[in-house]
Amino acid sequence: MTEPRSSPARIRRTALILAAVAVAVYLGFILLGAIRG
Amino acid sequence: MTTAVADGHAAHAGEHHGPQKGWRRWVFATNHKDIGTMYLVFSLTMFFVGGTLALLIRTELFQPGLQFVNPAFFNQLTTMHALIMIFGAVMPSMVGLANWMVPLQIGAPDMALPRMNNWSFWILPFAFTLLLSTFFMQGGAPAGGWTMYPPLTLQMGNSFPFLIFAIHLMGISSIMGAINIIVTILNLRAPDMSLLKMPMFVWSWLITAYLLLGVMPVLAGAVTMLLTDQFFGTSFFLAAGGGDPVLYQHIFWFFGHPEVYIMILPAFGIISEIIPTFARKPLFGHESMVYALSCIAFLSFVVWAHHMFTVGMPLTGQLFFMFATMLIAVPTGVKIFNWTATMWRGSMTFETPMLFAISFLFLFSIGGFSGLMLAIVPADIQYHDTYFVVAHFHYVLVPGSVFAVLGAAYYWLPKWTGTMYNETLGKLHFWLSTIFVNVLFFPMHFLGLAGMPRRIPDYSTQFADFNAIATIGAIGFGLSQLIFVYVVVQAVRGKGKRATAEVWDHPKGLEWTVPSPAPHHTFETPPRVSTEAAFT
Repeated sequence: MTEPRSSPARIRRTALILAAVAVAVYLGFILLGAIRG
Repeated sequence: MTTAVADGHAAHAGEHHGPQKGWRRWVFATNHKDIGTMYLVFSLTMFFVGGTLALLIRTELFQPGLQFVNPAFFNQLTTMHALIMIFGAVMPSMVGLANWMVPLQIGAPDMALPRMNNWSFWILPFAFTLLLSTFFMQGGAPAGGWTMYPPLTLQMGNSFPFLIFAIHLMGISSIMGAINIIVTILNLRAPDMSLLKMPMFVWSWLITAYLLLGVMPVLAGAVTMLLTDQFFGTSFFLAAGGGDPVLYQHIFWFFGHPEVYIMILPAFGIISEIIPTFARKPLFGHESMVYALSCIAFLSFVVWAHHMFTVGMPLTGQLFFMFATMLIAVPTGVKIFNWTATMWRGSMTFETPMLFAISFLFLFSIGGFSGLMLAIVPADIQYHDTYFVVAHFHYVLVPGSVFAVLGAAYYWLPKWTGTMYNETLGKLHFWLSTIFVNVLFFPMHFLGLAGMPRRIPDYSTQFADFNAIATIGAIGFGLSQLIFVYVVVQAVRGKGKRATAEVWDHPKGLEWTVPSPAPHHTFETPPRVSTEAAFT
């Protein structure tokens, strides 16, 4: 990749935000299970 | 019309260094084309493994009575067939296509996170080795159904933790793949390619990736709770400890219904690429297709309980989930209308990819209509857990998702290999597949309406004739797929006419501006896309 269209920092930031969303959904549903189960 | 212009340098760039030699090329792969190829080969392998299990199931069901397998093993076959086909065949095939085509279609040099891409793929063989190894354990493979409902699934033997670990691995792989696709599409598009100018396959994958990100962690959460219920003394779903088994079903189907769309939305994208090429017209209603896709994705989050009408729920709940489910027919109808309108007065030709696309329209619609029947609460109470449901989702997934993937493979194979596939064999493969898929699945509607339950190895003699017909269809369909393998192998070996860069008659899209086979590195310099709407 010689000429990125977006800066590596922005790419990393987007990826980290999405990963954080995935982790939050995972923990959120376990919390839901704990409350309702 | 397309005015995407590949930079001459970009089209031939990347020749300065080729792929690594030998096994290192594949194990350490970071190139999106190599990883895409590995995904596709893996999914084809799993397609045959899952298909073999399906043939064992159908062989047992050829006649009433127990012939070949015992009931416990039969349950393992149905469970593993579903898990392998969903997570091992259909999903990786779509991810493989995304890996190959998304960077090429948006003019990106590679996926945004190539090393993570390598990891996403290489998790899968380990996950499926774990899962398949359970066949050789004491007690055998998982047998409680792919839905893993407690308390039944908690009564499994040693295979249970292996199943849970394998599901976690598949989930991690899918989530990383989804992150990679979203980041690539949002950050690495060619400079003039606005979101609405993106090809429909890219759009379908952007939406699918968001669905994956939203629901794969839900499945992971559900199976984590199963694991802790089994081994760590919790009672999320155990009624004896104050837990709620129905809660599991709600959580599972909150994942499970969007999962259906994860398997079909990329298929919609593929069909939206194939039909315009062979109708020689731009896609009708490009923007409305995007809105329809988004609408379907949104609705998929609010219809989960239609899988659970027989569990019992308040009338308002039944009405909500029934009407919300029926509402999905509206954006789906928009898509079918747009594809038909694209073909209307087009200068059509019927090469193999187009045949698969047209077959998709008819047969997927049958699956859609039977889905509408199942959405009706009082009818669903009759159809629930019968072969009607089996017929419904197989029509959606086989002549739906699988036919779209086969169409895509024929459509892009010349771009991947540089060789035209054998059109005669391709058409033979298409006709045999289309005939046998109907012989296989259509009788299941009648079986279900007559009351034959799912997941049973033996049945009343009144169901014998349709079961025998379905089994003949299964054998025919399975054998027909060997033609596909032969056609692909011949193309990979270069046995056939050389493909041009465009391959087809003036197809639209950036992927057709690079030579065939696509060089190892493409678009190192961003291509130019004219300001004129490229695909509308």
